[in-house]
Parts: sequence; C-alpha cells; structure tokens
Amino acid sequence: MGLKSYSRARAVHVMLVYTGGCNGCDIEIVNCIFSPKYDAEQYKVFLTWNPREADVLVVTGPVTKHVEEPLKAIYESIPEPKAVVAAGACATMGGVYKNIYGDIPSEEIAGPVDEIIPVAAKIPGCAVRPEDVLSGVVAALPLLLNAK
Amino acid sequence: MDNDNKVTTQVIETEVPMGTIHSAALEPYRLRLFVEDEIVRDAELTVGVNHRGIERIMEGLPVEKANSLTEKICGICSNSHIWNSCLVAEKGLEIDVPPRAEYIRIIMEELERLHSHLLYLAHGSEVLGHETFAMRLFYIRETVMELLRMIGGNRVQYGASIIGGVRPRCDLDEMRIQKIIEGMDYVEEKVLDFADRFIRDPMVMSRISGIAAITKEDARRLATTGPSLRATGIGEDLRLDMKQYEPFEFDVITQDTGDVKANLLMRVLEIPESIKIIRQAIKDLPDGKITNRSWEMQDTDIIRSYIEVPRGKLYHSYKIEDGRVRNSIVRTPSITNINTMEFACIGTHITDAQLAIVQCDPCFTCTDRAVQIVDQPFRKNRII
Repeated sequence: MGLKSYSRARAVHVMLVYTGGCNGCDIEIVNCIFSPKYDAEQYKVFLTWNPREADVLVVTGPVTKHVEEPLKAIYESIPEPKAVVAAGACATMGGVYKNIYGDIPSEEIAGPVDEIIPVAAKIPGCAVRPEDVLSGVVAALPLLLNAK
Repeated sequence: MDNDNKVTTQVIETEVPMGTIHSAALEPYRLRLFVEDEIVRDAELTVGVNHRGIERIMEGLPVEKANSLTEKICGICSNSHIWNSCLVAEKGLEIDVPPRAEYIRIIMEELERLHSHLLYLAHGSEVLGHETFAMRLFYIRETVMELLRMIGGNRVQYGASIIGGVRPRCDLDEMRIQKIIEGMDYVEEKVLDFADRFIRDPMVMSRISGIAAITKEDARRLATTGPSLRATGIGEDLRLDMKQYEPFEFDVITQDTGDVKANLLMRVLEIPESIKIIRQAIKDLPDGKITNRSWEMQDTDIIRSYIEVPRGKLYHSYKIEDGRVRNSIVRTPSITNINTMEFACIGTHITDAQLAIVQCDPCFTCTDRAVQIVDQPFRKNRII
C-alpha cells in the first residue's frame, strides 16, 4: 500500500446529495454516519457537505428534473479519485415514482442516478438500512484506494 | 411631477441567497434573505426541487396501491400518511375497524411522533451548534427506531395500516409488548434527563430565548398548525376531536412565547404525553381480530379526512371509481408552516434565520408534492 492509499484510507469523506426522495434514506444515512449507534467515524468515514473535500458521493432519491444539473455540477466539482454510491430503491431504479403506472405517467423524474452520472455501487432497500449503507461505502473504497 | 418619481417603498438591496443545495440545510430549498445591517428585513422561501407529482401518479391506481404510495410522500411521518389514506377509504366504504387494530395504529402513530420530535430536537441542537445534545438525542431515537423496526419490519416505511385494519405482521405478541414497555421506560428516563440538562444550560437558553417569536394573532393569521401553533399559546390539537383517541387520557401542552425556546420545549414536553398514550394503549390492548376483511368495493363521492400528525393537520381526500382512486388531494402541515417560517425570519439577526426556519419543523418533501413549478429564473446562480 502506497502512501497515497494509506492516507486516503484513513480519511474517507462522504458527501450526501438528496435529489427528491422521501427523506427516509436521507435521514437513515445521516443517522448512520452521525449517530452513536452505527458510528461510521470509528472506521474513519466522515460526513462532509463540501464537494471539494469529498471522496464518496452518496446519492439518494430519484433525481427530479430540477436537481439534474446541480447533481452534475456537484459531481464535476469533486476531485479525482471519486466514487458514486446510489442509495435506496429510488436512486437505483427510480423507485415507486418512476415505475408506478397509473393513468398519467410520471414526468418529473429525470431517471435513476446511473443515467446521469457514473455509479460505482448500488445499495438496495426502501429505505436503506444503515448496515447496508456502511457496506456500500466500503464496497466503493477499492476504487479510491487503488487509484493512481 | 417630482412627487411621482419619489420612491415610496424602500428597496432592500442586500440579498443573501441560500440553496437550493446548501451545506447548512439538509433538504433542498431556496431561501433568500433580504438584509439590512445583518438584520433580516424580508425572507422568501421557495420549494419545488422535490416535486414528484404524487397526486398525479395516484390518479387511476387501485386503492390499496394508492394507499401504499401515499406512504412514500414522507420518510419521517410515513405512518400518518398511510393511516389517513386508509381512513379515507374506510370512511367511504363504511368499514368497521376492529378495536385491536385501532390500538395498534395509535401505538404506531405515537411511536412515530416520538421519533419525529426526537429528530426535530436533534436537528435543532445541531443548528444551535450543540453537537453533544444532537448525538445524545440521536442515540435515544435509535430505541424508538428499533421498536418501529420490530413492529413494522422496516425502520422507515413500516406500512402498518391496510384497509380494514393493520397488516398481520404488525400484531403485538407478549414479547413485543414487553419490548415496547421497556423501551418506553428507557426513552422517558433519558428524555427527562435531557430536558433537565437542556433547561439548566445557560448558554443554550441565552441562544434561543426570545428569538423569532410569533404572537397568537400572527399564528392565526398565518394558519400555523401543530406544535408550532401550540407553542404560541393556542391549545388546538385535532387529537381531542378524533374518535380514535377517545379512550386515551393525555394533556395538550402549550407554551406562551412562540419563540425558538417555546418550540423546542413544546416538543420535549409532548414526548412524555405520547409515552403516556402508548402505555395506556398497551395496558388496555383489546383481544380479537386485527383486520376486517368483510367489505366490498363500491363507488363513492369525494371523501375527506383530517388527522393530527407530528407537524400539524394532515388532509387527504379522494373518490373511488371502479376500485380506482380519482381526484386525490393531499395537504400536509408544512405547506402552511412555510409562511410562519418566512415570517419568523423577519427581524432576526442573520445568524438566527436558520434557527427561525428550523423552529417550525420543516419537512419540504411532504410539502413539495402540491407545488407547481412554473419557471426558475435563478438557475444561473451558483449552487454550492
């Protein structure tokens, strides 16, 4: 393990972007990183709200048309190496909002996250369980650590 | 001629924009603060980023499917939405709900109120800058979340109510009842301990006393609902009128001042009341069925239903045609509380503006379904 990988593994910064879901995954993830019970900081995973210091971008929600451009801008402003984790049923496949078929189809959803930005890991669940969030972020870590 | 050219209204030139995605706000919303010497003179809060058009995609869905879709409106008060949506169908189709199911629904609703209020307090403490309080409250909240997971099978979208009762999975056996009793004892002890430390902390009190106060008259004029209304001194609680809450004894808590302190204390003091209701429901839990399946689908007129949820009054209405939902309307409490948030900002110091927004317990995902977006001319602004 080189010096870069060594230091990256000791300060993984996760940024959360919320793109129009129901708030459930969002609060679960903030809880997972924050709360003393699941305490991700003991694994050196920190929550940040600044894209310029983030390594992992966690996206929740079925990207609505209004957040499509901001999401791209946030993705662009994260420095390399970076990994995107799509958390929750909405982020992975559009969720109920895209796939429920009543008389009028939904027009507000720009699509699941992987149609807009490249996704490294997908976490299923409605809402995601905190354990799954942790394993999802860990699954995306090799991308960061093995990067040049 | 000179008189005509005179500017009569004052134009405030300094604008502090926030959002739509901002590090201080958890949910995306756009806040524009018009300031003069660091004092907020006017505020404008715009939602609309989360608009998913829930009512539109509900059109023409089977009733059961539409009920479970209403649950996805909000991840904090999901039980309230599915409960009220089932109440609409039960009212229209004249279905009797077994008493045991009513009690289990009340237990779920009050557990949800507990977790919502604890989340509010934790979020409020974070905005105050007191992270230790926030961590303690998140830890207490985990107990409630575990109870919800035990009953409903999921930490957020539990889906307890179905038309005519509750899901078989949500039935309470001896082990679950024992767990709920133990959990309530733990939460009560910890919350009272927190309340004691919170009130005796002079730093916190000086930060929140007298900030962003709303008078009774303003609260009435702005149609504030829920705990934010009760914090101004008006003891209005829809639970007093709901027939589901008739068997239970509880007090309606009010505060006088309507400032951030009153709002925070309001939620702290409502937690023991919810625990009281849960204990009564556990003690008198009736035996018998949990679902009434002997009903038939028929066409109805538009049916309306109001319930009290953690943030205020929730309204659902739809009519049923051939077993499908038509003309659905959902009105969540935060849509009126947005006005209160804007009004509370005015006159505060700019550092307290975020506190003034948080004091009304914002939930913009709930609110955003009904708002139609015409155009967003601010798109060129920086977002971060």
